[in-house]
Amino acid sequence: MSIVICQINALIKVSLLELYRRKDIAVVLILGAVLLLPLSFVSPFGLSGAGTYFNEIALVMVWLFSIFIALGVSSRVFPYEFEKRTIYPLLAKPVGRGVVIAGRYLGALTAAVSALCLFYAAYVLLCGFKQGIWFSEALLQAFILHIGLLAVVVAIGMMGSLIMTTSANVTISILVVFAMLLFGASLSALAATQNLVAKTVLNIANAIAPHIEFFDMRQRLVHEWPAVSWLVCAAVMGYAAVYSTVCLFIADFFLKRRRF
Amino acid sequence: MSVIQLENVVKTFGAVKAVNELSFHVKRGEITGFLGANGAGKTTTMKMLLGFIKPDSGRVLINEKDPAVAVTRKQIGYMPEIAYYYPYLKAYELLRFYGGLCGMTKKEIAVRSKMLITKVGLTGAENRELKTFSKGMLQRIGIAQALLHNPDVYILDEPFTGLDPLARIQFRDLLLEEKKAGKTILFSSHELSEAELICDNVVILKEGKAVWSGTTAEVAGDGTQNLERVFLKMLAADANEGEAI
Repeated sequence: MSIVICQINALIKVSLLELYRRKDIAVVLILGAVLLLPLSFVSPFGLSGAGTYFNEIALVMVWLFSIFIALGVSSRVFPYEFEKRTIYPLLAKPVGRGVVIAGRYLGALTAAVSALCLFYAAYVLLCGFKQGIWFSEALLQAFILHIGLLAVVVAIGMMGSLIMTTSANVTISILVVFAMLLFGASLSALAATQNLVAKTVLNIANAIAPHIEFFDMRQRLVHEWPAVSWLVCAAVMGYAAVYSTVCLFIADFFLKRRRF
Repeated sequence: MSVIQLENVVKTFGAVKAVNELSFHVKRGEITGFLGANGAGKTTTMKMLLGFIKPDSGRVLINEKDPAVAVTRKQIGYMPEIAYYYPYLKAYELLRFYGGLCGMTKKEIAVRSKMLITKVGLTGAENRELKTFSKGMLQRIGIAQALLHNPDVYILDEPFTGLDPLARIQFRDLLLEEKKAGKTILFSSHELSEAELICDNVVILKEGKAVWSGTTAEVAGDGTQNLERVFLKMLAADANEGEAI
């Protein structure tokens, strides 16, 4: 067991080094910070209520950038290994393919979460300066659930990268994630009004698609609503863990079948 | 005792039989050269020896174990033909990474890395990113990573490619040193002169079949032969394949 932990640790470290030595991630981080931070100082037309809208804009940006980073990071890991053939010396070491998947996944997730920390730091500054709110229970829950969201997005990106081309994977993953974010909550209601075939299709989609909307705490933060029950949070994180694990098992299946 | 064993190994890709009833053994402490023209099946055989792909039939064993099982590969040091390493890593980071994958402790990695960096002549370059390395330097770091976890068996794919004459001599000496330490070495090469200098045995592969195998002393025969002649004769022998030298 200890050798597996040692291997996963090595894979996480190398994933982090890789991601932070690539300049495109830095560009997204700087762009995000540049867009977020000025919002904390702007007060247009002297309207005090405008803070709510800026809060919402800031959260949308945090969501967009974090999802793009998570997908960008996870969807490139294996295609890069195959393209540069670094997979050969890697798999020649006493490391199982399942461990490679787990290590690379945790590495990509760690990188995406570290970027998320920077975005949330900028967001907290925004809320602190604008509304004088430096901490709330709902904010903590939003951050934790956002990590759960990234766990699911990174797993989807990694699974897709072993099944299809990078461009197809990124496109489909973005479509699925944003479609579920917008329409996920209403899928079952929509299914109930359809004929049998459409109903079956929608019910299947409802069952297998990632319910990104579960992780969305933006409205609670924007309108300063109270936090949800921690049990609900735990259930959603459990959903993230199960969904990610299933995706990683599928990724493992495809990596094991892959001919080098 | 045979450390590397291939018995009637067959591997087919579609209609192409990449490896055809290939059998050979490598004993402990021996250096074996694995020779053949491009497309002869050397890389496919090496991939099977590393457990990347499974044979359609036959057996591939390293120390009597299946190399497809991860733990078996702890006994294997592999050096790829072209330096397939992460360009954004520094030399010592690469060794630390591979050491971690082999389950080595930080201390073991530090000691072995320092020794190997010196041995392969990369002193002073250990803190440079690999993207700044020349081809020869990448080959050197490739050698270091193959030796890092002190395995029993070395599988080296074209190890002399890209090395300057001095590095070749150093590497040749290094392999002979490892042989003395009881390591088993199998390497593929187009460099027949290098193979002749250091190998105990050679296996010549053609269209996935071993068309000749024997000791380097057998190659020399009565002194009128050399490996280059044998190699060319074997590759040219279409009609009378397997003809005696």
